[in-house]
Amino acid sequence: MSDAGTAMDDSDGSESELMLDPKVQESIGRSLKAHYDDIVNSPVPDKFLVLLAQLEATEHRAVGAPSDERN
Amino acid sequence: MSATEFKDGLIKEIPNLRAFAASLSGSMQLADDLVQDTLLKAWGNSEKFEPGTSLRAWLFTILRNTYYSLYRKRGREVQDSEGTYAERMATHGNQESHLDLADFRKALAKLPEEQREVLIMVGATGLSYEETAEICGVAIGTIKSRVNRARTKLAELLSIGSLDDLGPDRKSAAAMQRVGSEIVGL
Repeated sequence: MSDAGTAMDDSDGSESELMLDPKVQESIGRSLKAHYDDIVNSPVPDKFLVLLAQLEATEHRAVGAPSDERN
Repeated sequence: MSATEFKDGLIKEIPNLRAFAASLSGSMQLADDLVQDTLLKAWGNSEKFEPGTSLRAWLFTILRNTYYSLYRKRGREVQDSEGTYAERMATHGNQESHLDLADFRKALAKLPEEQREVLIMVGATGLSYEETAEICGVAIGTIKSRVNRARTKLAELLSIGSLDDLGPDRKSAAAMQRVGSEIVGL
């Protein structure tokens, strides 16, 4: 059984007027993962790494250089 | 936590932030704007993050709040003018599963936001019900009933409401099964 299927089983039980067939639940769970993982596995745009590198560099300058040490 | 450690933590979460943002906004372009805002806010508030707690849950909270306060309206406008990312987005994976995924995404986009976000968080991100409840600021029971309603609605939209519908003669159901087995087979 997949992780998604297991997680879904927890949610049912008590309040189940409309309980879906486990196979349907599993099928939806797998499609959900397929949708999400497809984006997770796509390449991360460089701009995010550039942005974070800039933020970090700004921080280092602020913390590390009260005197005028620059080259 | 040093600035570098924090930065590395953020970098690791970017793919998940993009996937969650795209699921919320229905647009990859909006998703990337949303992720950028989230990273900036996270950096500016890094002292509020408690080391040892889930960075993902913390970032999702920021992203979600940003979405609801600033992006929700834009999301609808973009979808109206360009269609959802489900119709446009290039996917990884092979040609065949691309079509099936597109069908699923169209159905997902039709869910009410409050149902869609919890279904994604609980079903795809690895967050627990507890974390999801905390991120959304509601009780765990509420999360559970939203997840149930979301799944029922999705099954309806995809015409896979009963076991019989999963038979081989039902094209969409068969397609979903195929997507599923590819993922499981990874």
